[in-house]
Amino acid sequence: MPKRIALKDSVEVDSVDLSNFARSVAFSSEHARIDVSGFNATGTDEFLAGSTTQSVTVEFFGSYGSGEAHQTLYPIHKDREVVAFAWRPDQTAAVSATNPSLEGNVQILTYAPGATRGDAETYSVEFTAADEAGLAFVTSVG
Amino acid sequence: MTLYKVTGPTAFRGHRPGEEFEAELEPDLERRAKARGSIRVVRREPTKTDEKEDQVDA
Repeated sequence: MPKRIALKDSVEVDSVDLSNFARSVAFSSEHARIDVSGFNATGTDEFLAGSTTQSVTVEFFGSYGSGEAHQTLYPIHKDREVVAFAWRPDQTAAVSATNPSLEGNVQILTYAPGATRGDAETYSVEFTAADEAGLAFVTSVG
Repeated sequence: MTLYKVTGPTAFRGHRPGEEFEAELEPDLERRAKARGSIRVVRREPTKTDEKEDQVDA
């Protein structure tokens, strides 16, 4: 597969297309490292994979119009709602093995917009996985 | 099924602004989407529960 310049990504929150209000996406999925090391001749640590913590962080442009970033995101945080999240590399193409969609139900536990004089207003929002299904890449529309 | 119109500035469930679409949205999803101005209900067909209630009322 060719390398990619991120330009056409799709970011959907609670069924709203916020792609044009977002400029970066970073997914994180981490298994806890459980130390099960015993005495051994080499002194090497031994780990097992424990519980999984997942989140995806999106950098949004500050936008306060009807149906835009703030009006979509803030009520989700304020009302502790669990909503659907989806991100895929190419919004002009359907979900497939070469255009996988990261999907899952998420919460916004922290919401912290801010602004700097003279700069484009941007802020990061961390979407935390909210149920046992977690966040997962799918390759077909379910 | 309910007929919705996308009234917000961005697509909703893949439907472009101004487009109409039929769906059965979850009540919470519909409530949030209407509150933020993403969609509005154009026409809602009575559900079977509504029809039963109408029969009881008659």
